[in-house]
Amino acid sequence: MANLPARTAAQAVRRAGRRRLSRDERLGYLILLPALGAVFAIVTIPFVLVIAQSISTDDGTIVGLRNYSRALANPLLYEAIRATGIYTLIVLPIEFVLGLSFAVLVHRTVRRPGLRAAIYVLAILPLVVPQVAIGVVARLAYAPSYGVLNVILERLGVIHQEINWLGDPTLAMLAVASVDVWQWTPFVYLVLFSGLQTVPRESVEAAQIDGANWWAQFRYIDLHYLRPLFILIVFFRLADVLRVFDHVFILTGGGPGTTTQLLSLYMYRVEFKFFDTAQAAALAVMVLVSFSLLYALIARVLPLERA
Amino acid sequence: MHPITRREFVKRTALAGALLTPIPAILEACSTGTPSSTKTTKLTIAAVQGAEDGPLKKVAPMYQSQTGITMEVVEFPYDQLFEKLVTTFQANGSSYDLCMMDDPWMPKFGTMGALQPLDSNFGFTRDSDIPSIVYDVGTWPPPRGPVPPSEQGKSPHLYGITIVGNVEMFMYRKDLATTPPASWNDVLANAQKFNKSNFYGYVIRGKATNPASSDSLPILWSFGGDIFDANWKVMLDSTESIDAITFLTQTLKKYAEPGAENTDAADRDRLIAIGQAFQSTTWPAEVTGVVEAQGVSQVIGKMAYIPIPKGPGGKGLGMMGNWLLGIPKGSKNGSAAADFIKWLIKTDNMKTYVQNGGIPTRTSLLNDPALGQNNPYFPALAQSLAAQPNWRPRTDQWNAVETVYGTAVNQAVAGLKTPKDALTAAATQIRAAMKQAGYPS
Repeated sequence: MANLPARTAAQAVRRAGRRRLSRDERLGYLILLPALGAVFAIVTIPFVLVIAQSISTDDGTIVGLRNYSRALANPLLYEAIRATGIYTLIVLPIEFVLGLSFAVLVHRTVRRPGLRAAIYVLAILPLVVPQVAIGVVARLAYAPSYGVLNVILERLGVIHQEINWLGDPTLAMLAVASVDVWQWTPFVYLVLFSGLQTVPRESVEAAQIDGANWWAQFRYIDLHYLRPLFILIVFFRLADVLRVFDHVFILTGGGPGTTTQLLSLYMYRVEFKFFDTAQAAALAVMVLVSFSLLYALIARVLPLERA
Repeated sequence: MHPITRREFVKRTALAGALLTPIPAILEACSTGTPSSTKTTKLTIAAVQGAEDGPLKKVAPMYQSQTGITMEVVEFPYDQLFEKLVTTFQANGSSYDLCMMDDPWMPKFGTMGALQPLDSNFGFTRDSDIPSIVYDVGTWPPPRGPVPPSEQGKSPHLYGITIVGNVEMFMYRKDLATTPPASWNDVLANAQKFNKSNFYGYVIRGKATNPASSDSLPILWSFGGDIFDANWKVMLDSTESIDAITFLTQTLKKYAEPGAENTDAADRDRLIAIGQAFQSTTWPAEVTGVVEAQGVSQVIGKMAYIPIPKGPGGKGLGMMGNWLLGIPKGSKNGSAAADFIKWLIKTDNMKTYVQNGGIPTRTSLLNDPALGQNNPYFPALAQSLAAQPNWRPRTDQWNAVETVYGTAVNQAVAGLKTPKDALTAAATQIRAAMKQAGYPS
């Protein structure tokens, strides 16, 4: 008999769990249904299909992990990973340092709202220009024999012989990276600038009364508030770097050789040039898993919470 | 009328939306997929954006006014058109009634069984005024040369009719050199002779993949090299192949423009058009679009156009780059689409097409002096077609092969690898890809 109250409570919980949904709840689920259906149709189904393709041949025969081993055995994959790694190591630190510097500079020195708004608009511009257009303009800047950059440098007397921006492996990588830096540094600036706006004025004033110089203010106050935004920027930029395609395709086509053939361009070629759907699917799954793990690692290293 | 609450309105709207959404898909699924018996009122053409489809867009309204059939030309950039067609064919889609196809795509589409046969279905026959090679390139499996293993034993059918008679040719400054280069040695000699500061003896179109591949294949063939032999054995690492690519990427490169490894057709045309280069290979569309274009070029009337010069073996082999019109299997207006193709290749209509910038395939039009006045490359094109130019290997793996080969040539042009190392590595890669695809490499 001693168990009776406990059993009754459990039954009550189960009953509560099985209770009929209210009209409002049913309506809520009904309204959610199209959105959930869309997510299911455009995310879940393709993902399942990609996994199925990655373990089968074109005619549907299941071959286990053979496509994965084929993908991993291709030396071009490692060249593409290397190129993507180099590209990332060039663009992310530069965008970070430049974006942070601009954000702090504007935050500390520009007080007029009109000027801040103008800078805001200027920073938005590169983000809304189509990547293809940026690629074409960049090609006009870097192209051999008629590139604007060489002409300017020659007129300024900085160089006396044309620089082969897109033909030399190192310079070609720097050229494609520079386009990324131009387009995405404003994004870093905007995010960090908005973060700086949230720093409490009292904290800064208290630090100033205590005699903290600008570096100490930045290091012990601003940076503390910006930290969660760093992970946001790293997340977004890593995802973008993985998708970089248009301007590289237009500027160098992955060349010279395969030195600027980034992972996205390589996967595009496996799928749409080699028409090796199975290998492309295996690559897609591997990239997805690798980056999920990488993101999990980053999230652990850079805590989201401020405290 | 009974008023309803806002909640009730939202609920009914959501339900109605959920019920109505799949109706178009259900109706589409219930359709038979067979040719419609109703009269065709509209034909949709998937076309490549650029000089190649410009004349087609100009003459399509004429057909529209004659027949009442609305002609819609949907344009895509080169790479996107191919991808779009492949995915449409894979789904047996009926979005397009006609499609423009670059001739190296024919093996892919032929192997996929993506097109309707023009001869057996619509009664197309060969016209003696059009060179046989033009019909051959639209036939699958190929009537000559190696046939892919999966296609052997199949009876050949005509699947595409050429509407842009592209063949790769050679151009040089006739105001500077009085005699045309007969061989690649002459080309080299002229490059040496005319090369000077800010005037390049030769222009290499060496950008990675398709550009480098297209630019080098005529030289490769003229030197006796090739990508495959008659039995699909890879011979890219043969002595002749290595000699050809060494000639282009080392010997001739000494007199070429800086940044050749990043030069594409537009860059080449610009150098020629502003009078900063002596010679190069070229395609007809480059001639009409830039080199001989009023208001664009500074060398109008100064260029000569000839078939590809001869190699050490005494043969010069141009490369076909025909653009064909085909009818996708999924089209429900096959008969009307075939009528349009027949209309377009009639002599009078093709003449109008040429007057609007089109590149003809009819020998009579290529040799028409009146048309030749505005198109100085017509005689060279007629000669190139008559000499049976080479086509790119007729394999559905061509895109992969071209990517590997074009990257290797680009590496050699950039000096990242020696021609021998680049071609040897490419040959190994192509052998593996072909073996994977079931070829006897």
